Amino acid sequence: MTVVRYLNWLWREFKGEILVLPGRSILFFGAVALLALPLVFRHPYALRILTMASIFAIFAASWDLISGVVGQLSLGHAIFFGTAAYTSALLNLNAGLPPVVTIPLGALAAVVAGLAVGIPCLRLKGQYLSLATLAFPIILAGLVMVFSSVTGGELGVSGVTRLAPTRLKEYYVAVVAAIVLILAVWKITDSKVGIIFHAIREDEVAARASGINTPLYKVLAFCLSGLFAGLAGGLYAHYMRIAGPSTLSVLTSFQPIIWVIFGGIATIYGAVVGVFVLFPLVEVLRVAPELRMLLYAASIVLVLRFMPEGLAPWVIDRLERKCPRCKEHNAFTRRACRVCGTALRVPQEKGVPSGG
Amino acid sequence: MRRRIVTILVVLVLLSTMVMGFGAGCGLKYTKNVLKVGVAGPMQFIMGRHHWLGAQMAADEINKAGGVLIDGKKYRIDLVQIDTNELLSIDDAAAAIERAISVDKVNVLVGSIRTEAALVMQEIAMDNQTIFIVCGASHTALSVKVGADYERYKYWFRVTPINVGNLVKTSMILLNQVGATVRAQLGIAKPKVAVIIEKAVAGDPLAAAAQALIPTFGMEFVGLWRPSPNATDVTAELTAIRDSGANIIYTYFSGPAGVPYAKQWGELQIPAASVGINVEAQAKGFMQATNNMGNWEYTLNTMARVKITEKTIPYYDAFVERTGGLEFPTYNAGTYDAIYIWKEAIERANSIDPDAIVVEMEKTDFISSAGRIVFDTMHDVKWGPGFVTAVGTQWQDGELVACWPIDFYGVTYEGTVPYKLPPWMVPGG
Amino acid sequence: MLGNILVNALMNAGVYAMLAVGFSLMFGVARIINLAHTAFYMVAGYCIFYLVSTAGLPLPLAILISIVAVVVLAVVVYRLLIDPMREHETTVLILTIALALVLQEAMLLWFGGYFRSVPAATAGYATILGVRVSFQYLLTLGVLAGALVAVWLVLMKTKLGLAIRATAQDREIAEVMGMDESRTATLTVAIASALAGLAGAIVAPLYILEPRMWLNPLTIVLAIAVLGGLGSLKGSLFGAAIIALAESLVVFLVPQGAFLKGAFSLGIMILVLLIRPEGLFGVAFEEER
Repeated sequence: MTVVRYLNWLWREFKGEILVLPGRSILFFGAVALLALPLVFRHPYALRILTMASIFAIFAASWDLISGVVGQLSLGHAIFFGTAAYTSALLNLNAGLPPVVTIPLGALAAVVAGLAVGIPCLRLKGQYLSLATLAFPIILAGLVMVFSSVTGGELGVSGVTRLAPTRLKEYYVAVVAAIVLILAVWKITDSKVGIIFHAIREDEVAARASGINTPLYKVLAFCLSGLFAGLAGGLYAHYMRIAGPSTLSVLTSFQPIIWVIFGGIATIYGAVVGVFVLFPLVEVLRVAPELRMLLYAASIVLVLRFMPEGLAPWVIDRLERKCPRCKEHNAFTRRACRVCGTALRVPQEKGVPSGG
Repeated sequence: MRRRIVTILVVLVLLSTMVMGFGAGCGLKYTKNVLKVGVAGPMQFIMGRHHWLGAQMAADEINKAGGVLIDGKKYRIDLVQIDTNELLSIDDAAAAIERAISVDKVNVLVGSIRTEAALVMQEIAMDNQTIFIVCGASHTALSVKVGADYERYKYWFRVTPINVGNLVKTSMILLNQVGATVRAQLGIAKPKVAVIIEKAVAGDPLAAAAQALIPTFGMEFVGLWRPSPNATDVTAELTAIRDSGANIIYTYFSGPAGVPYAKQWGELQIPAASVGINVEAQAKGFMQATNNMGNWEYTLNTMARVKITEKTIPYYDAFVERTGGLEFPTYNAGTYDAIYIWKEAIERANSIDPDAIVVEMEKTDFISSAGRIVFDTMHDVKWGPGFVTAVGTQWQDGELVACWPIDFYGVTYEGTVPYKLPPWMVPGG
Repeated sequence: MLGNILVNALMNAGVYAMLAVGFSLMFGVARIINLAHTAFYMVAGYCIFYLVSTAGLPLPLAILISIVAVVVLAVVVYRLLIDPMREHETTVLILTIALALVLQEAMLLWFGGYFRSVPAATAGYATILGVRVSFQYLLTLGVLAGALVAVWLVLMKTKLGLAIRATAQDREIAEVMGMDESRTATLTVAIASALAGLAGAIVAPLYILEPRMWLNPLTIVLAIAVLGGLGSLKGSLFGAAIIALAESLVVFLVPQGAFLKGAFSLGIMILVLLIRPEGLFGVAFEEER
């Protein structure tokens, strides 16, 4: 195809796939804004917040994958984050390997952790599974303390090389990584494998009965989730220049839960929304440090109680509508479904009698 | 349709508050003739509180005396409170320091307590060539960097406490003091020493050193216990220690476990004198926290109400007054001395350029409330008689008194009293 | 040494059992894994501290008020937040975690990060088998025994107890039989939180009050509940004894590994989950088969 035809195709794809839905447009332009931001605004503090948000967004998306999409609620996700963070840091410090090598290797270590967690947990369901996942990072934290000569104990592994030579480059590494990796996670959930994942969550017995090898897919899910969480962990270690026991803490396990539940579980984009709304908000709320954490935790309780789907789906619900016939999403402004043409009912104004 | 509009408005409002918050945070703050001191610590906890109180005292006094004199102009000191929350989150600490440096534009940072966080904060401060004076984290991991890469890390100093190596050395002196008392009062020629050190990296070399050195002190080593730094129950360890026949327990607790340790030791009246480092025992709240069972605990300390220097007792009393009699100063309140040292370095350098200030800070010879402060090549406080020795403090009948140094290379601080063994160990006591 | 290990284990078993019994009850009846259970225990401890040191009330009165306060808090939270979401078990799990965090932050805000001490009901110690045991520990055992007897009486001899047992066995049939399942669940929450509050009064003086004190006991309680069988009271007692013994062994036999106590308990929990998820005395529930 010639360049012009390619650009044309790109434009049509853009219009057809992205602009057509408000939700996708927001995400797309959000990503563009992130990429373009440093052109106008380079304040190091703001860059730090957005860099960390990007790294945590990857972590949150990985949690959503296993807990939201596949339905295996992980209460100890820090194990993947921490394993990768420590592995990357140790490889960097002891073998002198650069971040571009240590981070994938760290993620690989996290995948192994995924196997170590996923395989034993195959037999467990529901709350029992969650309890088991809770224990793994705590046990690993104990081991970190036992082998403190290697892991640095409570001091952690410090002196890790920077992610990139300048703050700006670090920002771009994180943002681009986040966009690419989260898209990858989303693509996984939108693929054939994703359908199986959804099926396992909905009704594992039925999925099994249909001939799907559910144990295999569950382990696969743990490994994939571990992979992405591990990449986030490696990025974190190189950005903070330290990998310490805080990466295995209970709080680190709970953070993605809070973000994803707030943003919208099982949607992947909910993870992004959750992190990018809550994380900077927590920083802005620094003006009232006493109340900060309390409001944070309280908002989760309220979201769970009154908006259990999460913030993003709630917003999407107002901006988009599902076609009653073909189930495709449409912008709320449309009168007829863009795919099958069915008329989309416009809700009546209050007090106006329908029909008649 | 209305619902949609409301939704869009809500989203827009949410976004704009975030942007405004950012903008407000990142906005330029133009101030004239003001020096900003960032006080960094976990403000919900006693360490951060003391960081802040010590700094406040210094700032108030300096401003009242006319401020900092640079180039004939008087500069006021403004304090910026930085809640690092470092005990709970390293990310929080990093973001808070970044914000203080790039948004609040502080000229200097003082404080910190948790080494894992201090390492990260150190990196950020050095990135920005901001002077960072530690008043809490004692680990040498921070100071070795000054030796390894001077040009980058020269902006880092530590005013309190003396670094962990010197802390350990001094605590062993206290151990010997107690050993001598046991020999004299109980007639035991070779006291048995049990060692209990929390499981922390700082404790590892100490454990090895203790095992090696105790025999050289003329004492017998009978066992090593390593509870978790967050342990809430050490009765098992204490029972085993009692079984071992120990006469002395040599301790290292920098975390919360120090409280239940002392409480259960006192409750069960374990017949062994407890001596060493127990950071929790340095604070006034220790008595309440141990239900008044913490008496006779003997710990190394940076500060006590004795005449270490001319400045000590006035400083001590002023601090107590400032807290309404509720607390007395711990080492974290050393931000008081840190700010004074920095102020004098600025005045000598006659400039706010960090490089110039660093040169002058290295020449510091300052009589502080904790002793005579001179920095060594790693920018740590020099330890020794005539410099900063630290003090040994013991809880006697609900009062924290100083029992050391007494004739330490000729050094005795006026106000020290003799060390006392726990009464349940002394026949007729 | 053996005497030490046994006595130490027995003391801790009593403490752990006090915390675990209420937890087990709540799961057995209401099918809720309440991760905020130890947070309620913390709240009770702080209440007592506040009432005794700031308000100057006598200890027994403070204990009573604190237990009532915790029960009220638990029931209100249950009705408003948890009951509506009962069907989504994993949501409830997360809700309880969030609740625990809210309670932690509230205590941090109100009391600061300092360490406090709940006044003990007794002072002094006794010597058992050569081991010095404080009277407060013995009191714990006594109160535990009393509480268990009371719970047993309620469960076996009252109509409410019958309803609780029936609901625990089979929720749907119990409802068909005319028992008000919702009311039963609420009352169970009340009883369980009262036990947590009582534990706060008796156990907290042994330890230290601080806003994060609920985390460690939670891992122990989880390990016990899983080991003994979620929902089984008998299992909680046995589980408490076994875990306490295991911890005691670790401390006495491997003094340098004393800090691994907690990790050890969790390791046991994982092993049990993998080998026999229903624990020693638990029943594999209908839905989970």
